[in-house]
Amino acid sequence: MLPRQRLLLKKVIAHSVLIASCALILIPFAMVVLASFRKGNFPPSTLWLNPDQWTLDHWKYVLGIPYRELLNAATGETKLVNPTVAPMRWFLNSLVVSSIASFGIILLSGTAAYAFARMKFRFRSQILTGLLVLQMFPQILTLTAYYRILNYIGEHIPWLGLNTYAGLILIYLSGISINIWMIKGYFDTISPSMEDSARIDGASRFQAFIRILLPMSAPIFAVVFILSFISMISEYPTASVVLQESANRTLAVGAYSLLDEHEKLWGHFSALAVLSGVPITIMFLLCQRFIIGGLTSGGAKE
Amino acid sequence: MNLPSILSLRNILVAAAALAALYLCLVAYRSGGGLVALALLVVTCLGFFIYLNPRAESYRYLFPGLLAFALFVIFPIVLVVYISLTQYSSNHLLSLSDVLLRFKAEVTFSGSDSFNFWLYRQADGKFILALKNEKKPADRFVSEPIDLVPGQDGTFSEGPYRLSKVSPSQQISGEVLDAARVARERLYQPLRNVPFQLPGDILVGKTDLEHFVPQKRVWKTNPDGSLTNQIDGSVIRPDFRAGRFLDQNGEQIGPGFRSFAGLDNYVEIITNPRIQAPFFRIFLWTLGFSICSVLGTFAAGISLAVILEWRELKFKKLYRTLLILPYAVPGILSLLILRGLFNQEFGAVNDVLKAVLGFAPAWETDPWAARAMILLVNVWLGYPYMMLICTGMLQSIPSTIYESAAIEGSNPVLNFFYLTLPLVLPPLFPVLVASFAFSFNNFALIYLLTAGAPRMLGGGIAGETDILVTYTYNLAFRDAGANYGLASAIATLLFFIVGTLSWINLRFTLKRYARG
Repeated sequence: MLPRQRLLLKKVIAHSVLIASCALILIPFAMVVLASFRKGNFPPSTLWLNPDQWTLDHWKYVLGIPYRELLNAATGETKLVNPTVAPMRWFLNSLVVSSIASFGIILLSGTAAYAFARMKFRFRSQILTGLLVLQMFPQILTLTAYYRILNYIGEHIPWLGLNTYAGLILIYLSGISINIWMIKGYFDTISPSMEDSARIDGASRFQAFIRILLPMSAPIFAVVFILSFISMISEYPTASVVLQESANRTLAVGAYSLLDEHEKLWGHFSALAVLSGVPITIMFLLCQRFIIGGLTSGGAKE
Repeated sequence: MNLPSILSLRNILVAAAALAALYLCLVAYRSGGGLVALALLVVTCLGFFIYLNPRAESYRYLFPGLLAFALFVIFPIVLVVYISLTQYSSNHLLSLSDVLLRFKAEVTFSGSDSFNFWLYRQADGKFILALKNEKKPADRFVSEPIDLVPGQDGTFSEGPYRLSKVSPSQQISGEVLDAARVARERLYQPLRNVPFQLPGDILVGKTDLEHFVPQKRVWKTNPDGSLTNQIDGSVIRPDFRAGRFLDQNGEQIGPGFRSFAGLDNYVEIITNPRIQAPFFRIFLWTLGFSICSVLGTFAAGISLAVILEWRELKFKKLYRTLLILPYAVPGILSLLILRGLFNQEFGAVNDVLKAVLGFAPAWETDPWAARAMILLVNVWLGYPYMMLICTGMLQSIPSTIYESAAIEGSNPVLNFFYLTLPLVLPPLFPVLVASFAFSFNNFALIYLLTAGAPRMLGGGIAGETDILVTYTYNLAFRDAGANYGLASAIATLLFFIVGTLSWINLRFTLKRYARG
């Protein structure tokens, strides 16, 4: 074989592998988009809809717009569907909870990472190791402890108890270990000389941290924010225990509830998945460059 | 120090914060949480020490984060480990004192007297109970003013309230409520179960809507902690290890109670065949699942990363963007979507397989098909992360080594196995171990995908696709015979496995870090 033919063959193989992989990724998503426009509640399974199969009912349901559902095609009997809680609400709930909690995570893990990266104190490496190892405890059994703690807090401070976003956010704030490691890893790559000279000029340690190190570390904070945001959006077990009213569910709990009942509402679910998945995905892709940098320099998302 | 500097703004703020914190401790203490109040006090003192003492400066940055971590990570762990050392299940739900109260509350009716009753509502909202003997109207008794909350059940732990004899003619103050009104105003529930005591230590309690009758307790408490049945004279003793009361024949009487069991739960995992058999099967599958997940995601991730690193390839950016989609879309949505695709009857996967290969695996009912599905889904969800990490590693390999390999007549496959892999694996090793540990505990994946189904024959609540965490969850919450103590013991074991692994992994990584 000539070298040029060899190169061509290699290119054909590479492109076919990549195209096949992309197809495996894209086809399920395409099916979900179609399932959200398909009459009836069918699981995502088709890449083609006949003209008479199209409907906007699922989207109306998800957005909370009342519509008439056809019960019997022969008699033309219909039923007015007006959801008491529009599933879109769950997505908004999740946005609120995840943004506030991710912001809180940045505050908590950023300050802690600063101490680990720049200061010397007793038990420094032990605490650092302990944070990561203790986070490995199977969370599922600690749920009852969360329940009890929030229940107790709620008896005295009602807005921070069970069934409140503040309570859920409070629990999410404890997931700082991985983020401390990531931010510390980034801080370690920045030379402390700038902060040192600022301190010689009379800045306090805190000022040096806020004015000099923080602005230089914006990329890693973006990464931590997005990664914790996405993992909180997907978090199911804790959210399902803490928030128990239909109206205050998060996206994960709400989306699962559509498929959990006797009648699996695949159409509604698909519309909700597209509605909420698209903006989050776009946000992630826009920050792609940061994320790849942060993952490869700092540590790991788990 | 002069006076104005003591009264500086900072000091006033500190004092105000201290007072507020102390007030919170007091509130907690008053509400009956002595331990909570103590913990709060310790945390407050620690906080003030750290923020006021210049020598504790580094801890100022750690305090808020570590506080959240202590409350929602460390405290729950301590609680679960403690519970793993106790008898705590649906058969041992109550505390010993609650069980004793139940015994105490067991009464039989005695004597032939029967009393009508009235409540007198006082101006301050309290109530006075008045009884009158049905047969001897001269026998009248009244209580002290007592608190009753409408609609809330009274318990035997209150009282007994003493009733004192009054003359038939004496007026009782307050608004009178007869039996019918008592029922209407939902004051019947709070009166139920609450014992009253006539002069001469005769207990009386409600029998029906309109009457009180004399009662006798069934169980008498003995000084050594045993209880004597006053009807048949039998004696029962608490067995603190097993968490129940036993009579002379060793039969359990009454409900079990939570008790300290030492390592019994751990011994049970190893020795009880009904738990041991499914436990080891599930353990093997958990191992297999974690190893295959890591290998699968790594293989897919590094292959795609290597291809995408090829300089002469076009559309690389587009490919990469599409290929990281599973990482960008919220995992829970992808997971549920894939579950739909693998639906046994209507799913797209089986539609395609039937059309192309002529067979349709039973993803939901066949154990091996279900396991294969879980791995496929997990690889689909997890490879983009590996791909991104591998891309970073590949970019740090100097291209000159490939050039010299090409001169030696190497090909891409040889390059991959003899050059790329040996260079990439060592630095990637910690990531692979972390990913293994994560799979080991990946509750949401199994729970939302199969919930452990199909069931394991003869395995009780165990399912064929259950991993240890989901099995633990079922043990703790799902079954009628929920066994929280045993589940906590398994969780603790799991933590030892995964925690040790992570710890070794960290040591290894940190050493490498330190070397350069």
